[in-house]
Amino acid sequence: MTALLLKVLGKDKLPRFFDILKNHGSVFAPVKHGEKNHSFQKVDSMEKVELNYNRTMISPKKMFIAPEETIFTFDKKKEIYIEPEESSEKLVMFGVHPCDLHALNLLAKVFLEEFTDTLYSSRRDRTLIVGISCSPDDFCFCKSTGTSFASEGFELFLHDIGEKYLVRVGSPKGLRIISENPDLFTELGDNDLDQFKAVENERMNSFKKSIEMAGLQDMLDLSYDSQIWKEYGDRCLGCGSCNMVCPRCRCYDVQDNIDLNLTTGERVRRWYSCMLQDHGLVAGGHNFRPSAYERIRNRFNCKGSLREDMPNCVGCGRCSVYCPADIDFLEIMSKIRGESQ
Amino acid sequence: MIKINPLMPVKAKITEIQKMTDIEKFVTINFQDPTDQTKFKYMPGQFIKLGVMGVGEAPISICTAQTEKTGLELCIRNAGRVTNAIHKLEVGDSVWVRGPYGNGFPMEDFVGKDLLLVAGGLGVAPIRGVLQYALNNRERFGKICLLYGVRNYDLMLYRDEILEHFKHGDSYDVKTYLSYEDETDKVFMGLQQDMNDRCIHGLVTKLFGLLDPQDANTVAILGGPPIMYRFTAMELDKLGVPPEQIFMTLERRMRCGVGQCGHCLVGTGKSIKYVCKDGPVFTQWDAINTKGMI
Repeated sequence: MTALLLKVLGKDKLPRFFDILKNHGSVFAPVKHGEKNHSFQKVDSMEKVELNYNRTMISPKKMFIAPEETIFTFDKKKEIYIEPEESSEKLVMFGVHPCDLHALNLLAKVFLEEFTDTLYSSRRDRTLIVGISCSPDDFCFCKSTGTSFASEGFELFLHDIGEKYLVRVGSPKGLRIISENPDLFTELGDNDLDQFKAVENERMNSFKKSIEMAGLQDMLDLSYDSQIWKEYGDRCLGCGSCNMVCPRCRCYDVQDNIDLNLTTGERVRRWYSCMLQDHGLVAGGHNFRPSAYERIRNRFNCKGSLREDMPNCVGCGRCSVYCPADIDFLEIMSKIRGESQ
Repeated sequence: MIKINPLMPVKAKITEIQKMTDIEKFVTINFQDPTDQTKFKYMPGQFIKLGVMGVGEAPISICTAQTEKTGLELCIRNAGRVTNAIHKLEVGDSVWVRGPYGNGFPMEDFVGKDLLLVAGGLGVAPIRGVLQYALNNRERFGKICLLYGVRNYDLMLYRDEILEHFKHGDSYDVKTYLSYEDETDKVFMGLQQDMNDRCIHGLVTKLFGLLDPQDANTVAILGGPPIMYRFTAMELDKLGVPPEQIFMTLERRMRCGVGQCGHCLVGTGKSIKYVCKDGPVFTQWDAINTKGMI
């Protein structure tokens, strides 16, 4: 049955593949953004797409939980909350890396399992996800977090094996695309699997950064009173950038905004950050995490925990890349493990 | 299948308001739609998100045990933006409810046990629900002791009810012990004069000196500030109540109530909990195992 779920796509056929994706919805793909960054943006032609990118600043989570969005509007006279009409626009996320796919799988666990978030659910249902393989740069450590390879959470996944892509099918929707376009997706050649394995092995051997995750949860617990937190708490600016760029951070705040007519308004949900001072503040003035060192400790324990039966970090390196105070995630975790001073 | 947003509240009407203290009101609410009423099944220790349209929502613990009676009783301290708005409402006004959330006290696991209830300040609100549950099913539980520590008579919550238990509780095997911090409080001085083996000046932990020895059949149920939990746990340890039989309810900032918004997270990599979903009721064992909990 492998033949059904593995195909080959020549790189010369990418523009045609892109056109097929366009038939399935608005395509969002990585494009160059400024000098060094990439960003998932709506694109209409393959030319603008940069499949050979290291990471986008903001992860694909933005497509499912918006940075800020109205969850209800209300009317005080009519005494009613109304869910805003959710768009029915079909979407395609093209070029998602394995780490970000793993992050989306965790978000799906949080937002879809016990209490199903209707917005998340609607967006996932009408979004087609196409993953793409990548090679590690100086910040990547997804091999350590077990997220360097994605086996689910996508419709199709393209493994770059040189002149062509090995295409992995991950869902019935993905299978349909393959079967509807037999001229585009061809059977595997004699050496394709060997070539795939060679590329994967080379990729796995090219990681420069690593962290031992086994037992890290206990090490974090043992380091609860460590000076490390004070040291980095003093350096932390409390800006919350690490939370915004983290593909697995999902804290949100909820706020009611009333219009100037004092009758209508909206309840807004927006991304929030555990590094901000009022994250642990309760009514009456007590703050459960008043100091920067308590907040940074909370963040690292959250990241290192197995709360959803998986680490809360996918090793994408974003928090270290974008921290304005140059706080390095692995540097702290390595100190926690006692590997360095 | 119609999917309902878990953050969507339902309407309820305020049917009764009583001023309890200068900052606390006793508020009874009734769901507008009878089906919301029927669906709303809860245990003592669970909480709701209570909202005022245009202002926001706040987590409020339910202070009753569920009975056929329809009203949901809440003790609301005017402490923040939302509770301040609730304090300005009148009978007949609308509020918005989501829930019930959290685990609540595992009352059915306590059947056959002696209950030692310890409350400090506003923490008495969820404890009241536990006591009601036990009194509604009196024969299914063993001896009941209620320890309640207050600053002074004016700040005492559920005054009439608790003084009723204090004076007459022995007849239904509920021994009530009271402590007060303000040594000039005339009412409490009077109570102490009448029953000095039940009412003393000091913190709630001082009341443990008045208790009969407890055995391993005791379950302790605590409601109060974290500092009270730390010292009460020490007293309970001396009495021989094991940590897995000490239950306490925690407060945290909460936006969602359903384990998504992240504000109530507590613990370390080894043991990390959402207070809203895994709690708000935890055992002393959880508190030892989860750093930063109390």
